[in-house]
Amino acid sequence: MTSGKKRSARRKGRLILLNIIFIILCLVTLVPVFYALNVSFSGKEAALSGSLSLLPKSPTLDNYKTILVDEPFLLWLKNSLILSLGTIAISMLCAVPAAYAVSRWRFRGRQATLRVLLVLNAFPQILSMFALFRVLKILGLLNSHFGLIIIYAGSMCVFGIWNLKGYFDTIPVEIEEASKIDGANDAQMIMRIVLPLAKPAIIVTCVMVLITVWNEYLFATTFLLDSSTYSLAGGLYQLQSNDYSRSWPVFTAASVIASVPLLIIFFAVQKHMESGLTAGGVKG
Amino acid sequence: MTQKKKFKPWLYLMPALLLIIIVIVFPVLFTGYISMTDMSLYHWNDYHIIGFQNYARALFKADSGFLEALLVTILWTAVNMVIQLAAGFFIALGLNARGLRWKRLYKTLLMVPWAMPAYISILLWRVGMFNPEFGVLNKLLSLFSPGKVDFLSNNVAAFCSCMVLNLWMALPFMITTIDGALQSIDRSLYESVTLDGAGFWAKIKYITLPSIKPIIAPAAVMTTFITFKQFDIIFLLTQQRGYKTGATLNTVITYAYQNAFVSNNYGLSSAVSMLLFVLIILFSLFTNRSLREN
Repeated sequence: MTSGKKRSARRKGRLILLNIIFIILCLVTLVPVFYALNVSFSGKEAALSGSLSLLPKSPTLDNYKTILVDEPFLLWLKNSLILSLGTIAISMLCAVPAAYAVSRWRFRGRQATLRVLLVLNAFPQILSMFALFRVLKILGLLNSHFGLIIIYAGSMCVFGIWNLKGYFDTIPVEIEEASKIDGANDAQMIMRIVLPLAKPAIIVTCVMVLITVWNEYLFATTFLLDSSTYSLAGGLYQLQSNDYSRSWPVFTAASVIASVPLLIIFFAVQKHMESGLTAGGVKG
Repeated sequence: MTQKKKFKPWLYLMPALLLIIIVIVFPVLFTGYISMTDMSLYHWNDYHIIGFQNYARALFKADSGFLEALLVTILWTAVNMVIQLAAGFFIALGLNARGLRWKRLYKTLLMVPWAMPAYISILLWRVGMFNPEFGVLNKLLSLFSPGKVDFLSNNVAAFCSCMVLNLWMALPFMITTIDGALQSIDRSLYESVTLDGAGFWAKIKYITLPSIKPIIAPAAVMTTFITFKQFDIIFLLTQQRGYKTGATLNTVITYAYQNAFVSNNYGLSSAVSMLLFVLIILFSLFTNRSLREN
């Protein structure tokens, strides 16, 4: 009896300790987020002063007003939307049929294609950035959204093929054969049967493409030379690199606005994330 | 009919392959070509083919800095992976402790760094945390002792600072993966060894680790690649134009970037890129094979 009581007391103690550890861990993790919120609601002087306060002393929305009205934030937002949607459209139009082909049919050259795609997926595009710069310059696509979309779409297409192929593999062929008997041709069958079944994987892939393009600043600031064509990431990067002591509170306000939609999307799809992503896996 | 069947897969693959060839394969080949020339800011159009001189310079001239960057990258990848796996494992283990009521809340809060846009996180850390004048870390330190610490001013400090930030950004993925793997372990396995009198560490060694290894391995390999390729953290923290912090830390990726876009040494940069490409191909073929055998 007493030993059982002792054990449960010890277990309770351990759980309290564990809870304390996790509370500290969560707080430490969130310090940069608290900091950004705090500075974004503070006046200009408070942000750069040496004092340490938990809440802004005189809360103000000035920084949010500045970023939305005085800076071309809405223009950047529009550009980011154009870039992300364009990239999603092109990369998915290319990736879906390709992933379907390598998942459903066994043909000569399939293994080799998959292996090459795997290697290309591991290749960091930064390494060929200079070559891309020269190619775009020759083609007259520097400073154009289309040029940047094509570049994003290329790397996202490789990722998309791998991710979707893994998911297509898990859809039984029998379902398709049944519809073939009903007289549907390939394209109809993919549109009506396969795509609806693969919805989770397609959503996750699109979200991953969206997040990647949304957060990309290096190619955006290298290949887009005119700040009115910048994406959100490129614009914010430029904003802080020009004169951060002046624009720092404004930057924190901008980063709060830019992060919130992503946090919402992330937590909305997180449940599908594991099933939609790991199915792609590393299997050959 | 058979002829049609042979071509159909390629018809489906065509748009993707075309796009990939234009955007990825051709630039790689072009990089290979540039690596054989003396292309630089002064030789933008009137460059000459100089053979393998750029490769020789990268590999055999100590002052080129490439080998040093390679060593730093290997150290960076190894240290980060060890800490990430260990920390991720113990945090996930804690989350799975029986009776932890707020598990979902903790897990959600710990995921926030993963959901934040990476460049925003890094820039927030650069000024908000590490800045010697008004960064939070220095404000906290000033409570205990006067004097400011510049966390990015020299290579060792910058390496550690970048590593802390990388852990902050990468741990959520590791925790999620290991947490998922832990939940897939059959509980009855533990009960049977508890009867045999096995303690906490023995259970970890004989049941937990062997059970989660096959699930963790692909994620660990993927993270190794990502850590090896990490560019943003080191670039944004220490190398932004106009905000050089005094650290001269370079990984191979930032080294290639610096040579292309800062010192405009396109030939050398391309040679380094090709060397890295070969390295990455070998590594990915090797890991892919060993993963499949598992």
